[in-house]
Amino acid sequence: MTRGLWTRETVALLLLAAYLPLMLFWLWFGGAGALAQLGLALLVVAVWHLVFMLVRAQPPSLAAISTALAIAMLAPEGLGAFRMVLGISFGVVMGELVFGGWGRNVVHPATVTLSFLGFGFPGFGWPGFDDPVAWAAIPAALIGVATGVMPLALFAGAGVVAIAAVLAGVLPDPVIFAGGIALVLLVADPVTSPATQLGRVTGGALYAALVVMFAMQWTGAAPVQIAVAAALLTSLVAPLLDEAALALWVAQRRRRHGRT
Amino acid sequence: MAVAISRAGLSPVFPSPPASPDIAEVQTEEAAVRPPVGARLHVTPLVSEGDLVAQGAAVACLRHAPDICFTAPIAGRIARMSLLPGKKLSEVVIFREANGGVERHATDRADMAGGLRALLQGAGVWPWLRRRPFGGMPAQDETPAAIVVMASDTRPLAPAPQSAVEGRDEDFARGLHALTRLTEGVVIVCGPVAPDLDHDRIRIVPRGGRHPQGSAGICIHQLCPATLDNPVWDIHAEDVAAIGALVETGQLPMTRLVHLAGAALREGRMVRTHPGADLRQLTQRIALPGPHVLMSGSPLDGHVAQWLAPRHRQVTVLPRGEAGPRPHWLIAALTRSVSGRPVIPSAALTQAFGGALPAVPFLRALGAGDEETATRLGLLSLLEEDVALADYVLAEGGTLMAQLRALLDRIRTEAAA
Repeated sequence: MTRGLWTRETVALLLLAAYLPLMLFWLWFGGAGALAQLGLALLVVAVWHLVFMLVRAQPPSLAAISTALAIAMLAPEGLGAFRMVLGISFGVVMGELVFGGWGRNVVHPATVTLSFLGFGFPGFGWPGFDDPVAWAAIPAALIGVATGVMPLALFAGAGVVAIAAVLAGVLPDPVIFAGGIALVLLVADPVTSPATQLGRVTGGALYAALVVMFAMQWTGAAPVQIAVAAALLTSLVAPLLDEAALALWVAQRRRRHGRT
Repeated sequence: MAVAISRAGLSPVFPSPPASPDIAEVQTEEAAVRPPVGARLHVTPLVSEGDLVAQGAAVACLRHAPDICFTAPIAGRIARMSLLPGKKLSEVVIFREANGGVERHATDRADMAGGLRALLQGAGVWPWLRRRPFGGMPAQDETPAAIVVMASDTRPLAPAPQSAVEGRDEDFARGLHALTRLTEGVVIVCGPVAPDLDHDRIRIVPRGGRHPQGSAGICIHQLCPATLDNPVWDIHAEDVAAIGALVETGQLPMTRLVHLAGAALREGRMVRTHPGADLRQLTQRIALPGPHVLMSGSPLDGHVAQWLAPRHRQVTVLPRGEAGPRPHWLIAALTRSVSGRPVIPSAALTQAFGGALPAVPFLRALGAGDEETATRLGLLSLLEEDVALADYVLAEGGTLMAQLRALLDRIRTEAAA
């Protein structure tokens, strides 16, 4: 029987393709240190996927590579191998694998990992990004939207708020860069972002609004820290946004047809 | 009510040789009377093996609604009558004989709703109607909230309904007016082109060319949602023209335009044949050598069959794939899971429903067996064929259709209790 292409792994592969520009620029500027960080994250994530495959018969996903990339790029600097392994293990297992693997998780495992590392080891500094790496988030988003694996509405919602904030002069450049990278890597993940069109617009706008609010009010916070905190809150709110959007959709249909 | 033609949807490409523009008239040597797809109906046989029947003559009727008849698509002799345990209709096979004649039905009461209903039920048109929710043909005395006439079919390789009703404008218009007598609601014609009609309860809604815009369930979901208390019927435009001819002449035209297509054919073909046609005879001279699968219906929602199903207008012939060696256990573990696979949102999935409903929440509700949410999102307007494209896009191999059917069956059981 003939079958289509859009399986879970196709989407994971296309996401990886979208992340390629970002990864290449980051590795180019980060050098051997970045490569080692990525290798470590990849190893730990892969081991946990293997464990869940053997113990729980959960098929592993190529999305593990995207998770590892997001963790390696955004994790606090100088943590050392042990803390990294601890943080990644917590994030990947509790954020994704216990729910049944990629596709059933509520929060992005990289967001959980980064929040855990941020809360658990507040003494370590967050990374900054060179301008070209941040600009590479734009082609990443374009590839993701063009292939249909990243929601355009989410970028639109975030873009409108971000442009308004920039015009108002309340969003410094480093926060824009970190916010853009986290938007592509964490917030625009198709699984954990809102699933309805209206939910996506409001979710993107909410993320950008949270980044703006933290940038203005959270004294002493690093740009990446701000972006990760905003991403965590946004993905926690995503189901609520979807519910609200669905309720509105159902109400509109009821008004138009008298029934759903 | 008017909806602008939208570009939503997908155009999945299935390889098939081009069809010649000539339309051949074919009556197969054997034909079968079968119940609508998926239905198990208790029947009372009205003929026995060896009887000569006219085209359009009743061969069986429903046991609990004897007015609803199944009629012979061709004139001939009853070769075999297969009933399942409980006298459920399996198939009645007829061998064609030229001297069988054509059955004529009395049309004197067709101007009244009751008379028209009796005429359609006695002439064998009733199985061509399909009701939602749950599918299958309508009950004997059911009055729909609306009737949707599908003058658009966007399934891959489907024949255009416009060519099927070309030159039959009067019959089509008469059929539409007849349908208005079956419902107190509207009769909606969905299609790119429709006749100019002057009737306050007939509405024309243009549809786009991408699938699933021409899918009856998606049209019903967008225009007049079906609920338990408000059933909605759908019928193909060609069948409406047949009703128009039946009302006028008393004889039901059995021909229908069918597209023979698929990768296992040497050439595609458009034929005018009848319901229950023998697919082997239709494809005998045009199939490529080698093993192949004969399907009644489209490559998306068709099923392997020997006979053309009552409402189908497509025959798909696909090469039979060789069963490969079993994959290595590690590869199997890497690619298969114990439970159903999760739905990953993507633009392709949204378009697989033509943007008509929130695809991801709907499929998540289907997967979780959450009938309340699925019903809120439009489950009762849909049938298997409406989620067939999403099933294909996600490479689920029929899982979504099975989930939808299971949920519909459960709701039906609960509603009946």
